Amino acid sequence: MSADMIANPAQPRLATARDYLELLKPRIMVLVVFTALAGLIAASSISGIAVNPVLAAVAILAVALGAGAAGAINMWYDADIDAVMSRTATRPIPAGAVPRDEALTLGLIMSAVSILLMWIASNMLAAGLLALSIVYYGWFYTMVLKRRTAQNIVIGGAAGAFPPVIGWAVVTGTTPLDAWLLFAIIFFWTPPHFWALSLVAHKDYKKAGVPMLPVTNGAAVTRQQILIYTLLLTPVGVSPLLTGLGGALYGAVAIGLSAVFLYYAGVIWQSRAGDADAGAAERKLAMKTFAFSILYLFGLFAALIFEHGFGLYISIGGIG
Amino acid sequence: MTEPEVTHADADALLKAQKRRNVWLAFALVAFVVIVGVTTAIRIQETDFSGGDRLYFSGYLDEAEKEAADREAEARYEAFRAEEAARAARLETDNE
Repeated sequence: MSADMIANPAQPRLATARDYLELLKPRIMVLVVFTALAGLIAASSISGIAVNPVLAAVAILAVALGAGAAGAINMWYDADIDAVMSRTATRPIPAGAVPRDEALTLGLIMSAVSILLMWIASNMLAAGLLALSIVYYGWFYTMVLKRRTAQNIVIGGAAGAFPPVIGWAVVTGTTPLDAWLLFAIIFFWTPPHFWALSLVAHKDYKKAGVPMLPVTNGAAVTRQQILIYTLLLTPVGVSPLLTGLGGALYGAVAIGLSAVFLYYAGVIWQSRAGDADAGAAERKLAMKTFAFSILYLFGLFAALIFEHGFGLYISIGGIG
Repeated sequence: MTEPEVTHADADALLKAQKRRNVWLAFALVAFVVIVGVTTAIRIQETDFSGGDRLYFSGYLDEAEKEAADREAEARYEAFRAEEAARAARLETDNE
């Protein structure tokens, strides 16, 4: 079924530069670069190690290329299910703009280039972590987890959590506790973020046979899991205050955004979002939760960048 | 599966698209070479070649042998300095 859809797309068209850019999942790339930059800036500020700005820029470029490479590999492998889901049917491969093999080639070459650049610009640990994150997303999440288990997002969330650790390793050549706290924030943030979206797109996932939580366990369990993971995320989100990684600004932002995220998680738990008889208001609520989750992550990492990159850090007495 | 018929207009458009892609690939390759070159130059500038992690062969395969040679050279220099000082002192005494 799906192979035919890719071989004979409804209306094949010539690829544009935009198609190739879309293959790299630019929105995810922006988030990855942003969190890697936050890790890099925080590491430099805390360790007192100044990184040559050109080398730092090359390292960040390597992270962006690595994220894009993983995205292209993901689109190559998922082309069959992308063609089935309305949300993803217009992607370059199912739309017939980019041949499937070309996407894989692009992904593999970009992977090699990004790892090489990272190694040249920083160190072997950062390059190794970048390679690990590409393999984790491109192979482990995409090819192993996604179509097998409803926990795909939970376990696979680690792939998106690596960038701040990589950013930290670029500066210090090590990955201390603070770097792993940033990893944990993204790791625990990923399930409520994706499950909020899947409450809206669950019919698509069902049609494509992807075992997302609302498909396998129903919307009620998903709403409950969103609340549980948001409850877990809250202490993790404020934990940088304990080690001294986060200062007054981070504290204010983290506490404020966590309170709002908890509110959304609570409201969605009480709602009928994702149910068969759910109306437009429930859909809107799920999408608002999804949108707010993005703001939450941006807010936390932006606070770190402002504190450590612009001298706004005011210690509030961490134990670190 | 039958191959779709390719018209002249299609072929022209395909060729144009391919040429455009080739230009972008060329730009990407040049950018890669420039980035690697600049990065390497910065890394070399920042490298301390005086320690054990130097890149170039110093003429000594054995680190202990090099240290002994360095010590001998230092001793020779110290002896030379002492001899110079003694000679200057002698000249001063003779002048008096």
